[in-house]
Amino acid sequence: MKILVRLGDLFGATRLIPIQSTHLSGVSYKHLGDAAIDFLDELASKGGRAQTPSSLNPSSLDQEILVKRYSKDRVAKQQHIIELYKKMLIQPTLTCTPYYVQKPKPTQHLAWSESSAVVYANSVLKAWTNREGAPSALAAALVGKTPNYGIHQPQNRQPNVLIKLETKLSAETDYGALGIHLGKFLKEKIPALEGLRGSDDELKQLGAAMASSGMTARFHREAPSKKEKLETMTVEAKDVEETTSNLCTTDQKPDLVFIGCPHCSINEVKSVARALEGKKVRKGAELWVCTSRHVKEKAKNYVNIIERAGGRVLCDTCVLVTWVKDLGVDTLLTNSAKTAFYAPTLNEVDAILRPLSQCLKTVCRS
Amino acid sequence: MKHLKATRKILRGRGIVTGRCKGIALVSQKPLSFLGGVDYNSGIVIEKGHDLKGEFLRDKVLCFPSGHGSTVGSYVLYSLVKKGSGPKAIVNQVADTVVVVGAIIAEIPMVDQIDIKQIKTGYIVEVDGDKGMVKIVGRGD
Repeated sequence: MKILVRLGDLFGATRLIPIQSTHLSGVSYKHLGDAAIDFLDELASKGGRAQTPSSLNPSSLDQEILVKRYSKDRVAKQQHIIELYKKMLIQPTLTCTPYYVQKPKPTQHLAWSESSAVVYANSVLKAWTNREGAPSALAAALVGKTPNYGIHQPQNRQPNVLIKLETKLSAETDYGALGIHLGKFLKEKIPALEGLRGSDDELKQLGAAMASSGMTARFHREAPSKKEKLETMTVEAKDVEETTSNLCTTDQKPDLVFIGCPHCSINEVKSVARALEGKKVRKGAELWVCTSRHVKEKAKNYVNIIERAGGRVLCDTCVLVTWVKDLGVDTLLTNSAKTAFYAPTLNEVDAILRPLSQCLKTVCRS
Repeated sequence: MKHLKATRKILRGRGIVTGRCKGIALVSQKPLSFLGGVDYNSGIVIEKGHDLKGEFLRDKVLCFPSGHGSTVGSYVLYSLVKKGSGPKAIVNQVADTVVVVGAIIAEIPMVDQIDIKQIKTGYIVEVDGDKGMVKIVGRGD
């Protein structure tokens, strides 16, 4: 309660408002660490219980593959964290794509953390959530309310920068690179991307990337009526090309090919399956396709094709929140700009950014 | 003996988290991210290219423009303070949620809207999170 009220006071909230759901980051033991466990334990023991539907971000391991590759101590600590959240009645969905599990409706007020989910919920699904922190989202879950500042107030939803796209975006990596490029300039500002098209999956890449290099919570797809009054920024082909190139930190052969940041939609799992049909993953190469349990269940047939080809479909986790370096990975190949952006610092590995078709070509036998 | 007249200076800002303390200032002119930027066990700054790289946060009055980066950073700050490797207080130019929430749960004083260019590393400062003030009481000879 203290957290919510203080944040509300600081950012000009007038009252607490009820929310339809919360989504919590701060799940992976890799980032949470030991002392936060004490904090969660205290909350759970003192009777903290979710007052609204609440979901969790990915953990540092899945229950089939990684659970067998890490030490007993690490696994136990990770499971303990999840148990503490479950005790507080928070659903162990363990995905950064809670919108696939339970789709928010337009104009619903939410309190979500996980920046990629926030941007998607606000921009594609037209719900309203601030970019919550891990503890503030947890506080909102336990109280069932959030202070009505930021995006919960209509005047804060309008764009303040107009982006003129003078380049064609073809692959999903173009959307991601665009996001990384924009985020650096925008910081917290809300952009209107005039003429932006793209599938939901491509917009998901754009939003996740934008939220990684910057602090924005929302983008608009149309220019507003009073666009002459807005600060303007132009994006050309060379900006996207340069960003893509800078996100590649090496030209070495990858140890791991990773698809699924953010977690794959059913459509994305289908695309991987289609590309892998009749092919086999090279011996010594490793392919991870990460998604939520919810999507894995719904895309069962496609999952089978991927696994028959030698790829692995992992739930509950992803590269950024697990200890890939400990698994012997030094170079990562991915189609996610967000992963390419973070992996060098969060995982201390090199990254290469390529569209899905190229990622899969690299990992298969010719 | 240095003149005391020039040493006392009061900087007025906004109180973010209550509490008062006195300590040695550790000042940076760059934003700091607790997740990834600070070693989670020792409290040493590890952020590449940071002007505080290699410095220990323990017991210092940490002054920097604002935080950035993952919100899990709030838990990192909490964890450092609980372990005894964390700062004594936080002084920012602009408060952001990650640092604010971290300071609340760690229960350390925090003040923002302070012109941190007026504080140098090594200064002895008193932080008052209730009044939103930072008082420079010595220049750390």
